[in-house]
Amino acid sequence: VPERRLTNRIRTLRFLADEMTQGDLGTAIGVTRQTVAAIEQGKYSPTLETAFRIADVFGVPLDEVFQWERED
Amino acid sequence: MDAPFREKIAWIELVGMTLAYGGYFIAVELAKPPILTMILLFAAATAVRLLILGGGYLAFASASRTPADERDRAVDRRASSIAYLVLLAAMILVGVIMPFGGETGPRVANSALAGIVLAELVRHGAVVFGYRRGWRA
Repeated sequence: VPERRLTNRIRTLRFLADEMTQGDLGTAIGVTRQTVAAIEQGKYSPTLETAFRIADVFGVPLDEVFQWERED
Repeated sequence: MDAPFREKIAWIELVGMTLAYGGYFIAVELAKPPILTMILLFAAATAVRLLILGGGYLAFASASRTPADERDRAVDRRASSIAYLVLLAAMILVGVIMPFGGETGPRVANSALAGIVLAELVRHGAVVFGYRRGWRA
């Protein structure tokens, strides 16, 4: 099985949403600011429900937030 | 320290337990006191631990305490499952193996306490690791 890793564009999407803060995003999806930071940095993979909540906040499909990429 | 509340508490527990129970086990091993003194020493060590922990809660609770979210729960689950293996190994050593080596009384009791303390240290250490480095799913 090829190694893959979860990446995301949350930082970019926050920037495009009037520089939404990690704290504001965390409040909107029901997690702490530190958890949003950990997701952005790839230190924590969120549950599917939280992933959908994030996509919902930015009004984009899930695969515009998270990508499942091959590791080189 | 811009860390989650539960990571801060885990650090405090690591330091508090190491100081309190480390001191207790060193004192017991070196002085080999009578049982009553041993019990009082353990109570004192527990009081020291609780004081340090209480200080940590007072210092951090108002500023950064938030309800546990999914990451907090995931970190706690992973840390507890790792610590469980340590506790299991320690209890097998103390309850199954030590009696066959002729060990009895206070030494078995202190070994059991040491196993519990070690498992708790591993749990708090794993919590810190989980927040600092994270685990890939």
